[in-house]
Amino acid sequence: MNVGTAFLLAAIPDGRVFGLDQQALISIGIQLFNAALLSAVLSYVLYKPVRKFLRNRTERINAQLGRAEGEMAKADELKLQYEQQLDNVEQERLEILEAAHRAAAEKGKQMLADAQSDAADTRARALTDIQAERERAQEEIRRQIIEVASMMAEKYVTQAMDAATQDRLFAETLAELEGAAWQE
Amino acid sequence: MDFNIKNLWVLDIAGVEVWITETMMNTWIIMLLLTMLAVIVRVKLRTFKQVPTGFQNAIEAIIESFDNFVHNTVGDKFMYLGNWFFMVFTFVLISSLGGLFGLRPPTADWTTAFALALVTFGMIQVMGIIHRKGKYLKSFFEPYVIFFPLNFIGELARPISLSFRLFGNALAGVIFMSLIYGLIPIYLRFALPAALHFYFDLFSGVLQTYIFCVLSLTFISSASSAGAP
Repeated sequence: MNVGTAFLLAAIPDGRVFGLDQQALISIGIQLFNAALLSAVLSYVLYKPVRKFLRNRTERINAQLGRAEGEMAKADELKLQYEQQLDNVEQERLEILEAAHRAAAEKGKQMLADAQSDAADTRARALTDIQAERERAQEEIRRQIIEVASMMAEKYVTQAMDAATQDRLFAETLAELEGAAWQE
Repeated sequence: MDFNIKNLWVLDIAGVEVWITETMMNTWIIMLLLTMLAVIVRVKLRTFKQVPTGFQNAIEAIIESFDNFVHNTVGDKFMYLGNWFFMVFTFVLISSLGGLFGLRPPTADWTTAFALALVTFGMIQVMGIIHRKGKYLKSFFEPYVIFFPLNFIGELARPISLSFRLFGNALAGVIFMSLIYGLIPIYLRFALPAALHFYFDLFSGVLQTYIFCVLSLTFISSASSAGAP
């Protein structure tokens, strides 16, 4: 027996399809070793690194998705805030419009009151002027009547007045009075 | 027509005769191919982009599909088994596809299929004991103690049935294709066998790969939960 050495034997036995003997056990052992070796190589060179790459990429994509969702949530929040602000602006616009309407109404009322007041003043002034003019006219008439009366008295005194004269004087006076009234 | 597994060399190692068979040589060729592919992927992995295209897309699709397959079969709990079964899946698949290039599938040798099934058997026992402890061993005596021999033989039969299913299908393909190539005239050898290669190497190969992995994962999963063996 040559322990620890290997020889290539010249005589090669015939092949076979199946056998259960020592060679089958040796063959099983060698194939087990081959399978273990191939498994180790494929696992460490191919399978694990590719799986690691895929896992890392999945994690990266998930992280990106997470960030995108966060950004989306922030954007939604901002959108909500903007919408609320827009609602507030609309509310403020309505309030300002309402206030303007109220102010305009107040101003209108004030202007109307002022106009009415002015009109009343103007009317009062006109009435006062009319009253003054009437009094002046009455004074003028009274003065003219006095003058006419004075003239009649003067004429009556200076002339002997008969009935015909009186009538004539009376008609003349009356005509003067009518002329004075027409002039007014 | 020769269906036998050829012996390429015979070594005398420490007084023990070791046959280096066609199966072993083909296994090493497949190992070399898969290792080269793995190295190429490992190198290209540095330039993998966020949005995959072309080669990256294909590699990602393979790994993700296999991950989903393991996940759907055994759940998150046993995802770490994917490391072993990824090798089983690719090795058995490439073995079957090797028939397209005139390479005798290593799985058409019972020792290869049994070696893989033996690992499944070991995983079943280890997972059962780790996850269920005494309950797993007790389950061999259920529902009654008298059922122990049946349960025990049933457990031992698992790697045998697993290995013979894979070996039988692969060998059937080899024998059938050898017969076809031996029987048909030489001018038909470029057309007629194509459909049969499609069935025996592609369809049956993929199917047997899938069945082997699903059964192995299911056995492991059920051994580590109630109801086993």
